[in-house]
Amino acid sequence: MRTTIFRVAATLWANRKARAGLSILFVFAAVAVLAPLLAPYSPTATNFARSAPASWSHPLGTTGSGQDALSQLLYGTRISLFVGFGAGLAATIVAMLVGVVAGYARGPIEVILGFATNLFLVIPGLPLMIVLAAYLPTRGVGTILVVVSVTGWAWGARVLRSQTATLAAREFVAAARLAGEGIWRIVWHEIVPNMVSLLAASFFGASTAAVLAEAGLEFLGLGNPSTISWGTMLFWAQNSNALLTGQWALLVAPGLCIALLASAMSLVNFGIDAIGNPRLRER
Amino acid sequence: MDTRPPSQSEHAPLLTASGLEVLYEPAGGPPVHAVRGVDISIGQGQLVGLVGESGCGKSTLGYALARLLRPPARIAAGTVVFDSTDITNLDRKSLRGIRHNGLAVVLQSGMNALNPVRRVRGHFHDVLGAQQRLHAAEVDNTAETLLSQVELAPSVLDRYPHELSGGMRQRVAIALALALKPRLVVFDEPTTALDVIVQRAIMDTIARLQAEVGFTALIISHDLGLVLGATDQVWVMYAGRIVERRDSPALATGPLHPYSAALLACQGDPTAEKVELGGIPGSPPDLSKPPEGCAFAPRCWLSGPPCKEEPHEKLVGTGSVTCHMAPTKLEVPKLIRRVDGPSEPIPDSGHGAKVPTTASAAVAKGRGRHRDATTAEPLALIDVTKDFKTKRAAPSEGVQAQGLVQAVAGVSLRLEAGQAMGLVGGSGSGKTTLGRMIVGLERPSSGSITLGNLRVDKLRTRDLPRYWRRVQMVFQDPYAGLNPLHSVGYTVGRAIRNHQGLKGDDYRRELLRLFDTVGLAPPEHYAAKLPHQLSGGQRQRVVIARALAAKPQVLVADEPVSMLDVSLRAEILHLLGELRKNTGASLLYITHDLLSARLVTDQLVVLRQGHIVESGPTSSVLRSPSHPYTVELIAAIPTVQQSQTVPAGAITERPGEPV
Repeated sequence: MRTTIFRVAATLWANRKARAGLSILFVFAAVAVLAPLLAPYSPTATNFARSAPASWSHPLGTTGSGQDALSQLLYGTRISLFVGFGAGLAATIVAMLVGVVAGYARGPIEVILGFATNLFLVIPGLPLMIVLAAYLPTRGVGTILVVVSVTGWAWGARVLRSQTATLAAREFVAAARLAGEGIWRIVWHEIVPNMVSLLAASFFGASTAAVLAEAGLEFLGLGNPSTISWGTMLFWAQNSNALLTGQWALLVAPGLCIALLASAMSLVNFGIDAIGNPRLRER
Repeated sequence: MDTRPPSQSEHAPLLTASGLEVLYEPAGGPPVHAVRGVDISIGQGQLVGLVGESGCGKSTLGYALARLLRPPARIAAGTVVFDSTDITNLDRKSLRGIRHNGLAVVLQSGMNALNPVRRVRGHFHDVLGAQQRLHAAEVDNTAETLLSQVELAPSVLDRYPHELSGGMRQRVAIALALALKPRLVVFDEPTTALDVIVQRAIMDTIARLQAEVGFTALIISHDLGLVLGATDQVWVMYAGRIVERRDSPALATGPLHPYSAALLACQGDPTAEKVELGGIPGSPPDLSKPPEGCAFAPRCWLSGPPCKEEPHEKLVGTGSVTCHMAPTKLEVPKLIRRVDGPSEPIPDSGHGAKVPTTASAAVAKGRGRHRDATTAEPLALIDVTKDFKTKRAAPSEGVQAQGLVQAVAGVSLRLEAGQAMGLVGGSGSGKTTLGRMIVGLERPSSGSITLGNLRVDKLRTRDLPRYWRRVQMVFQDPYAGLNPLHSVGYTVGRAIRNHQGLKGDDYRRELLRLFDTVGLAPPEHYAAKLPHQLSGGQRQRVVIARALAAKPQVLVADEPVSMLDVSLRAEILHLLGELRKNTGASLLYITHDLLSARLVTDQLVVLRQGHIVESGPTSSVLRSPSHPYTVELIAAIPTVQQSQTVPAGAITERPGEPV
C-alpha cells in the first residue's frame, strides 16, 4: 500500500500539469497555515476606513464594514481548503463505500445502491444544496461541508462501482476466494488497492466541486456570513455594491483565488489520468 | 489448386530490408533494441512466416516493414524498400499512397478492430467508397465478392460485429485488408485467441487466398507448427535477429539453428505412439541490455567457447543460419514423454527432465507423502447442466426459446482418486464452465456433483473455503490470475495461512518449500518479487504453488499453458506431472490442446456444445477417435511431425490442405 502511494506520487510529479497543480496547491496550503504571519491585520478588525480603495497600507482596499480585504483573503484560504479537502474526502469515502459494495454485491443491495446513486446523479446539484442548506438547523462551515459531501459522492460512486465490477470479474479475485480469503479481505486487499488512481481522481474531482460549491453557497448567503472565507467576501462585496463603488478588487481577488484553486486540482487530475492510463503519459 | 515453382530465385523481391534496427525509447526507461540488424527480402508472391517467442521482436519487425511503428519506437538504422521505393523515411502522405494499393496489415487484434456500432457493410463503404470513389452498389458487389473469398455469406454485410463469432470477425478483417488489392499483406498473429478448429480454417483460407489472388504475405506468429504448414519460407527470430531463414519444408525436416530445432521440438503429434516434447528453459534476453556474443547461448544446450563471439550469417541453400555450431546434428533434449503402455525413462539431460509415471504408480508413491490415500475420494458428476440467461436472443448461437444458453447439457463423469483426466473441446464446449462448477465458483442448474460423500452443488457459500482445502484450481491466465500489487510471496502466503493455518517459522518454511516445489529457486529471491517482475512461465508456477498451498486432493487446471509461449509448455506440463506423482492428487486437465492432454492425462473426455461426445483412455481416444468432432479436433493440429518423414524435395502440393 505504501509503495502504491509512492508510485502515485512519483508519477504525479513526473507529469508537467500535475506538477504545476501541486505547486499551486502547496502555495495555498502554505498561505493557509501561515495566514497569521502573512496577514498584515486581523481579518475581523473593523477599525479601518470603510470601503477604502487600494492603498499601500491596504493593497486590496477595505470592506464596507472597515476590514482589511487582503487579510480576509489570506485567512479565507483556510476555509476554502478545509471545506474543499474535507468535503472531497467525505464524498470520496461515501463514494468508495457505495461504489465498492454496489460493484461487488449481488442481489437487492446492488439494486438499491445503484438506484440511490442514479437518483443523486439526476437531481440537479445546486438546487438540492440550497434546499438542504436552507432547511438544516445550523449555519456555518460544518453545514456546508455536510451539504457538499451529501451532494457530491454520486459521480465517484458510479465510476468506482463499474471499476469494482470489472476487477471482481478478474481471475485474481476468484483465485483469492479459492485461497480462502474472506469477502472483506478481498475488497480491501485485492480490489481497492487496484483503484487508487480512480480514488485519487475521485477525490480531486470532488474537492474541486466542493471548493466551488462552498463559495457558491456562501455567495448566496446560505453560509454563516460572519465566517471569513472567499465565499462570504464575495457575498459582502456584492451586498455593498463593490463594483459600483469601484472596488473591483473585492470581487476579483477572491474570485481569482477560487478559480486558481479549482484549476490547480484539475491540473493534478490530469496527472492522475496518466497513472491509470499509461498512454496519456507525456513524452 | 496449383503447384508453386519451388525455386525462390524466380521471385523478384517486393520488399527488402537491410541493416534494419528498431529502438524503443520509452520515457523514463532504458532504450530497448527490439530489432538488431535484420536483412531480409520477400519475393513477389511469396508466403513467408515470421516466428519466435514473445519478446523476440517479431511484431516490431512486422510493423517496421509496414512503417506502422509509433513513438516511442523508431527505425534507428537501415532501409526498407518496397517495390523499388525507399519507404524508410517516407512522409505520411506518400506513405498513404503506397498503402492504398500496396501494403495492408491485418493486426493482432484484427477481430476487435471492427467498429462495434457499425455494420460490416459500413466498414466496406469506409474503405472502398472513400478510397476508390465507387458507388454504393459497386461497393456492395465488391464487398460480396471479398466476403465470398473469405468464405462468408453476403448476409454478413448486414450484421454488427458482435453478432459474428471471433473467426468470422477475423475473416471480415482479412476481407477488408484485401479490399484495396494490396500487393503485400502483413498478418500479425492472425489466429491468436481463436478456437483451434477455427485457427486451422483461417490459415487454410489465407493460404488459399494467397494462391488465388496472388498477393505476397508475411505471417507473424508464435506457432511454428501452424506457420510451417502454410508458408513457403520461414524466418525464425530471436532477440531481435533473424537466426534462421529457410524454406518451410527444409526447416521442418532439418532445422539448423538450435533455437529453431527447440521450437520445433515443442510441437508434437498427440496421435503418435510415442509423444515427446522439448522446451526451452529460461526466457529471451532483455533487449535493453543487448547480449554480447550469441544471444541464444545462455539457453542453448550446444553452447561452447565460440558462442562468446557474435555469430555470422552462413548461407545454406536458399536460406541462411546464424550460429557457430551449425550445421551439426541437432538432438533436442526432451522434457516430457508419453508412450503407450509402460513409460520409459528419459535419461537426465541436465535440464531436470524426469518422467511422469502412470497413474497407479503415482498413487502408490504419493501415499503418505502429503495426504493419506485413504482420504482421497472420487469426484462424480451426474447429469450436470448449466444454463446462462442471455439478455437478447441471438438466433445464430443455438439459443433456446426462453433466452437461455445451455453451456453444459447433462454431463456425467467420474474422476477416480489419483487419476488424471483431460477435458477437451473447442471454445463454447462448456469445459471451463464445468471446471468452475467443480470448484464451486458456479452452481449447476441441475444434476449433482459429489466429492466422496460431499454434495458440492449444495454447499453454502460459507462452507466453500473448507471445500477449497480439498479441491483447488490452476487458472488459465497467469497475467490476470495474480494481483499485480502484491508480492507473489504474499499471494501464496495468504493461501498457506488460510488453508493450513500456519504461522511464524512453520509458515515461512512452508512458503519456501512450495516455491521450491514449483521450481522457483532460490525461493527467498522469488517470494519477494511482484508479478510483473516475473516471466509468464514463472507466474504460472506461482499460480500452481498457490493452488498447492491447500494440499488439495483434486486439482482442476483450466488451460494452464494456453497463455504461455509453446517453449514453456513442456516445463509446466512436466511440473504438473511431477506434482501429481508426489502428492497423489487427482487432476482434471481442461484444455483445447490435445497434445498436452495426451502428455499429462490417462483418461480423456471430449466435450462439444455442453455434451460429452466421446470418452475413454487418452491414447485410444486420440489414436482411434470414433466421433467426427474428435476427428476434426485432431485434424486441426498442425502436422509438423508428419512432414518430417517426407523428403524435402518431395513436397509439392499446396501446404495447408487438410491432410
